[in-house]
Formats: sequence, C-alpha cells, structure tokens
Amino acid sequence: MPAPDPTPDTTPVAPAVSPPDPGRWVDDHGDYLFRFALARLRDESRAEDAVQETFLAGLKGGRTFAGRSAERTWLTGILKNKIYDHFRKASRERSFTDLEFYSGEEEDGFNHDGPAAGAWTPDRSPGEWDDPGAGLDQEVFWRAYRGCADKLPRNISAVFQLREVDGLESREVCALLQISEANLWVMLHRARMALRHCLEVNWFDKTR
Amino acid sequence: MTFWKKLWSGCADLSLDCRQASRAQSDALEGPLPASKRTGLWIHLRLCALCRRYGRQLQFLHRAAHDHAESLTDPAPGGLDPAARERMKKQLRERPPE
Repeated sequence: MPAPDPTPDTTPVAPAVSPPDPGRWVDDHGDYLFRFALARLRDESRAEDAVQETFLAGLKGGRTFAGRSAERTWLTGILKNKIYDHFRKASRERSFTDLEFYSGEEEDGFNHDGPAAGAWTPDRSPGEWDDPGAGLDQEVFWRAYRGCADKLPRNISAVFQLREVDGLESREVCALLQISEANLWVMLHRARMALRHCLEVNWFDKTR
Repeated sequence: MTFWKKLWSGCADLSLDCRQASRAQSDALEGPLPASKRTGLWIHLRLCALCRRYGRQLQFLHRAAHDHAESLTDPAPGGLDPAARERMKKQLRERPPE
C-alpha cells in the first residue's frame, strides 16, 4: 500500500492576499494621497499629517484588497474623512465665510447702472462652447479646470470641493464649515461664475 | 390698462434680470427655488439666450466636477519629498501594537 502523502494539500481556494505592508502603501499611494490632501488643505505639513493618519487608520482597519485601485479608493475615503475632521476643527477657530470674492461691481460681469443694469456686460457675456463634452476625455482640459479651481481663494475653494466635487449636501457643508446656508449659496454662486469665466478664457475661447 | 397690458407688466415685474438669473440658476442646483423666483427665472430664460447658455455651461461644469472627481487631483509626478516619505514609513513600521 503506498505511503500517505505527508504534505498537506496547500492548494489555495482563493487568491492569497497578504496583510498590507505599510512601506508598500506609502510607495503606492503616498504621493497621490498627499497631492489630494494638499489641494484640499493647502498646507504641506497638514497634508502630510492627514496622509499619515489615513495610513494608520487604514492599518487598524485590517482590510486587505485584491487590487491597488480598490485599495486607493478605500484609502482616499479615509483621507476625505480626515480632511473633514480638519475642517470641523478649523471652523471653530476661524471663519470659513468669504463674501468678498467676486463681489465687486467691476468684476462680476454685469452692468450695475444705466439702462442695461442687470444685464451681462458685452465682454463678459457667456460665449458659445463648442462640444464641451469632448474635453472630458482630455488631460489638457482637466489641467485647465484644475488651474481655474486652484485660483479660487481658500474658503471658496473649500466650499466648492465639498459641495461640487465630493457632493456633500448643503447642510453637511454648512455644519462642517460653520457657515450659514445663505452664505454658502452666495459663495457657491461666485465660485461657479469665476470657474466658468476662467474656463471660458483658458480653454473654450483662447482668443477672447 | 387692458388685461393683456396688465399681464405683460406683471410678467415684467416678476422676471429676473441676468444678474439675478445667474444667481437663481446656481441656487436651483442646491434645491427647489421659491415659486416666484422659479417663475421669474422661467420668464427670463424664455427671453434671454445668454442666460440659457449660462445655465447649460453651469450644468456641464456641475456634472463634470462631480462625475470626474479623480481628474481634479493633479496626476503630475511628485508629492511627498523623500524625507517625508521615509519619515512616514518609519512611523508606520514603529507604530504601537494594537
């Protein structure tokens, strides 16, 4: 009678995933997460702290992933919450309201007196955008968009990112930043106007 | 005043101007407008091609930001400087056991 096979059957039933190696996480995702945090927090040392906290929280979570992309999405989710925690704390120390940006009569793009008061000024009226959707596949378009978004002052930018990019509800944004809903809407309106105008000048109609 | 003149005059009173309409179109992205604003905006948009155009562009940018959030993070190389990177790895490896 043949001897029983001494080695146990080690055929895996699912792909083996090892626990996360923090060094690999830093190499794979550190730069991306740092750039993400820096765009939101606009401060290198805070951005580094947020990324560090994200990795620590991620390691405690003990999850493993089959792919880098899923890993990054999950880590970005944790990072966003760290960023929100930062805003929550910061809003107790300083105001996130900005009613100055784009408030001037000379800059908002409308006539403020005369018979055409309330109408677009001729040089600032919206131009025709030829096939805007085509830009969505082009990195140069996104570079222009990012450039315009980066020009927004800090508080306006925070409001824009939380509401437009992250899609938080108005009341969540208000709670996070301790701003009134009325002021939120003013800030969003001005962010949108500034962004639209900037993109028109820098992308859709360079000849203007 | 005839009925029609009164109606026209009433519409003109309700109608927003372009400045107000641009604000209303932004607010409309946040939630339902109050009835008078909604009517005033509707009237203005019937008459003003520029504001209709503004509204389309606003919608486009609103959706682009939300649907392509990952494109809004700069993919250019660079990020943590080497010292920061090493610092982070060290701190993570030396973290206290759970």
